[in-house]
Amino acid sequence: MAFDGKERDELRRKFLDYAETRDRALRDELITAHMGLAEYLARRFTNRGEPLDDLVQVAALGLLKAVDRFDPERGLEFSTYATPTIVGELKRHFRDKGWAVRVPRRVQELHLRLAGVVGQLSQELGRSPTIGEIAQAAAVSEEEVLEAIEAGHAYRFTSLDAPSGNDEELSLSAELGAEDQGLIDSEHRVTLSPLIAQFPPRERMILHLRFFEGMTQSEIAARLGISQMHVSRLLARALAQLRSQAEDDG
Amino acid sequence: MAAGVASRVGFTLDEVEDLRIAIDELCFSLVGPRRRTGTITLRYLLDTDELAVEGSGRFTDGLGNDPVVSALSEQILAAVVDECVLSTGEDGPEFRLVKRRRPS
Repeated sequence: MAFDGKERDELRRKFLDYAETRDRALRDELITAHMGLAEYLARRFTNRGEPLDDLVQVAALGLLKAVDRFDPERGLEFSTYATPTIVGELKRHFRDKGWAVRVPRRVQELHLRLAGVVGQLSQELGRSPTIGEIAQAAAVSEEEVLEAIEAGHAYRFTSLDAPSGNDEELSLSAELGAEDQGLIDSEHRVTLSPLIAQFPPRERMILHLRFFEGMTQSEIAARLGISQMHVSRLLARALAQLRSQAEDDG
Repeated sequence: MAAGVASRVGFTLDEVEDLRIAIDELCFSLVGPRRRTGTITLRYLLDTDELAVEGSGRFTDGLGNDPVVSALSEQILAAVVDECVLSTGEDGPEFRLVKRRRPS
């Protein structure tokens, strides 16, 4: 992984260029050039029961961040600068994941399918459906429904794995009106504000509606135009973050 | 696990989710912000229209028997379950929660 003098000079030049131009292709070259470092660091975490491929992906994300933030003028070697960033990303991956299990494809697909089933049933029934009702509508067993729901909570910790609710995410940011924003901000300035305020508007809204307005997840989903399961994932992720912060402070 | 038990009582998805959040929050309060060594035991008591969950922590690290609950935790718990009590038991922190089914 060591570069010779000529390679180092060239890389340094590319970093300087990138710092100025932010050219994507250049960034990719820099990342590729340093993937060896990412792999090397990822390997240090292979004894924790995760496949190397996944770890390398996480490390690559850390490498990406390091490449973006690196200031070549500072006089540091890039690998010296990047190592703590990459290791930090890997550590956070494990800390956030906890006991998360590898989820089989079948379960992932059911999870995605259930979002629609739940939405439809909620509309028909005028309330949140029971597990039995969901199982019947989806033509699967109750156990499978529970398994698929639980899988959604496993996804909450890795943005790499998250089912693509991307369309939903975009429309959600657009939904948040100035009035709603003001409401949330004023409520939380007084109590608990630093804890809730750290989250982006979407999560703040959901936390507020669930725990301060007493709306159910289905009601929040209807209000925001997203699926109940998406609300569930976002809530679970926010709560996990709050708890891990409590751990850091305590 | 709690979800499976809850589905026997015929809870809706919203209610199952609330229960999951409550149990997570309460187990976290049994352990507190620092890592501890020991065991947590959960008992599920089913009735026709409600589920009670009793949890207790037995720790071997001598770090105390009080549950640790923040203001935000209390707010969260109040929103998701009908009854909730945290206490200092003889052998460790304990909790009891009750969640009732909404009549349909």
